[in-house]
Amino acid sequence: MSWILSYVLSSFLDGCLNDMHFWCLFVLSCDRFVLLRKTNLPLRMDWEGQKLAEQWMQIMLVVFAIGAFITGFFISSFSLMVYIYGGSVILTGLLTIPNWPIFNRHPLKWLDPSEAEKHPKPQLTTSSVSKKKPTKK
Amino acid sequence: MHSFGYRANALLTFSLTILALMCAMASVSDNLNSQSPTATVQVLNVNRFQKKSNGDDEVGITLDISADLQSLFTWNTKQVFVFLAAEYSTPKNSLNQVSLWDGIIPAKEDAKFSIKTKNKYRFIDQGSNLRGRDFNLSLHWHVMPKTGKMFADKLVLSGYRLPESYR
Repeated sequence: MSWILSYVLSSFLDGCLNDMHFWCLFVLSCDRFVLLRKTNLPLRMDWEGQKLAEQWMQIMLVVFAIGAFITGFFISSFSLMVYIYGGSVILTGLLTIPNWPIFNRHPLKWLDPSEAEKHPKPQLTTSSVSKKKPTKK
Repeated sequence: MHSFGYRANALLTFSLTILALMCAMASVSDNLNSQSPTATVQVLNVNRFQKKSNGDDEVGITLDISADLQSLFTWNTKQVFVFLAAEYSTPKNSLNQVSLWDGIIPAKEDAKFSIKTKNKYRFIDQGSNLRGRDFNLSLHWHVMPKTGKMFADKLVLSGYRLPESYR
């Protein structure tokens, strides 16, 4: 069970890493993160995985909503409908939000560092491109 | 959908939109309910019938109200607000409506009731036009939903008459 928690925690932090860089310093000192590094679990989703996660989320929510409505209607219990729907939202969140491996079946192929060095980044030319508006006198 | 926060936000907003749609559908499903309420009211006694010092008539009556409002309840009903009003016309006002009693029915089991009560609110006329007056008693109900539209309707019972002289 603990690896699931650490997995969810790491994917949450992974999302935060995009925004808040100070998190990664805190995380590197945490041994849960070190454990993940040792087991080489992936921390990102690829493009195909993102599309899949979005589809799963939409379909699951709509199907569960229809099921919850029909159940509540025929049992005549409004609160049961809301509880079923709330549970399904949490379940959908657990399945689609963390970076599960299913969403990383087409991983992005980054260039090898040695290969990247052969193609240096283009340098920005520092010519003065200031436009002077003609002053009216 | 490229980060945790982005996906969580998308999930939250989509799920809340779908919840709103479910609530709208629940309200629309209330229209499928066919209502068949019944009620009878008896005036047991006119306790007090006097002209007040400012010239207005006041009546104190004891009522026996029995009703079966169970068919008004649906799965989307929070409570039913029911009140009894006396309706009559006078030379001064073509329609007077005075609320005599009200109550809240929280559940379907309590919707079939029979109570004997004095009028909860005072039955006071604007003027002194109540002697020998014929009046109707109308039972109004407001079906308050958990989500959506509130339905209101009434049942008019006629044939009541106030005494000819003060007591």
